[in-house]
Amino acid sequence: MTINKTQENGKLILAIEGRLDTTTAPQFQNVLIPAFDKAKEVMLDFKNLVYVSSAGLRVLLMGQKTAKAKSCSMTVTGVSDDVMEILEMTGFSDMLTII
Amino acid sequence: MSIISVKNLEKRFGDVCVLQNLNADIDKGEVISIIGPSGTGKSTFLRAINFLDPPTGGEVFFDGEIITKRNVDTTRRRMGMVFQSFGLFSHLDVMGNLTAGPVKLLKTPKKEAEEKAEELLKTVGLSERAKFFPRQLSGGQKQRVAIARCLAMSPEVILFDEPTSALDPTMVSEVMAVIRNLAKSGMTMLVVTHEMDFARDVSTRVMYMDENGIYEEGSPAEIFTSPKKPKTQAFIYNIRSYNYEAKSRDFDHVEMLVGIENFCFSHAIEKKTANKIQLLAEELVINIVTPKYGACSLNLSFSEKLGAYELSVLYGGEGSNALEAAEDELSAMMVLNSAKEIRHEYAGGTNTITASL
Repeated sequence: MTINKTQENGKLILAIEGRLDTTTAPQFQNVLIPAFDKAKEVMLDFKNLVYVSSAGLRVLLMGQKTAKAKSCSMTVTGVSDDVMEILEMTGFSDMLTII
Repeated sequence: MSIISVKNLEKRFGDVCVLQNLNADIDKGEVISIIGPSGTGKSTFLRAINFLDPPTGGEVFFDGEIITKRNVDTTRRRMGMVFQSFGLFSHLDVMGNLTAGPVKLLKTPKKEAEEKAEELLKTVGLSERAKFFPRQLSGGQKQRVAIARCLAMSPEVILFDEPTSALDPTMVSEVMAVIRNLAKSGMTMLVVTHEMDFARDVSTRVMYMDENGIYEEGSPAEIFTSPKKPKTQAFIYNIRSYNYEAKSRDFDHVEMLVGIENFCFSHAIEKKTANKIQLLAEELVINIVTPKYGACSLNLSFSEKLGAYELSVLYGGEGSNALEAAEDELSAMMVLNSAKEIRHEYAGGTNTITASL
């Protein structure tokens, strides 16, 4: 998995490419959680995310909670059909702000 | 009429009989994959057809004419062979390798042979390597040159003897792509191969070799989906399963996940199904079973009965359905929603959770 960071009008965009699973979730967590200290708005670009397991979902949940605690926003964009199926199956599609 | 006809072929090496009473008819344009366990005479069969290892019994006909030691050279010009170890002339550059045969054996004018060689190098994607020597090429490039050299003789049939076995896995696809294109062009081909994707997707007929001959043959669908004889079934089902032992809670997650990914890739499993398989394995083995029960083993195989993949996780202890007892509700929910059917069985001290896709 690779994570590309870009800034756009004060918004931090994290573009995730590859698989978000047990082995890569810690790397994602190490980038996502500190991101809320750097920007008020964090956007996760999932256009090139091909797979997500519960380990990745837990990091998303952690990110959502951190954003709330720090009065930040976390949005998700570019979700593929396969990943959306997982988000819907687990109820994460209702919890996350998907645009 | 068949282009190659083999009647009661026998091949012995001393007291060891490798092929016995082998019969086969190969028609023009057929692409035949020859598969089977090691040591069942697959390569010997090819080498007996073109008399590199002359048969010790029986007859081989090419285009209706019996092959004998006397006419074998003429026949070989019409029947090329590509070897596992390339067999290029190391002292000649790529162009020299491609033109030596046509110029010396077919008496083709050098210029004409070079023009044809340039065309062939284009088709195998090596136009810019004409002046390179074999030692300057990768394994995949050497094999592509070997195929082009074979084509330079304008053969009517090509025999491929495990053309990718000696290659680094990263180079297999470039060679297979050339062979696939050749198959599409209508060339008659016999390919001894371990590349099951090729055998299944490209061949017109598959021969499974065992017990000194062609043990079972049929269309790719017949051999890969519903093999009839026990040894074929064992071979096909064995290559269609993946097993992994998680020996403790701290087992190597990456090794298991990469193993499943490679299995899915090599069996050309559709991406969506492959992702579900990965998800079931990850949630069941890593998040549900090993944290609570320790060691377990995973088996992924194709169920002929269901016509679908099944993933089983086996673990010890008293009878307990790990999914019902799971503390990790998220993982359990993902497993239950990803599988078509889930069942738990307990027998002989072993729990088995099986998920069908």
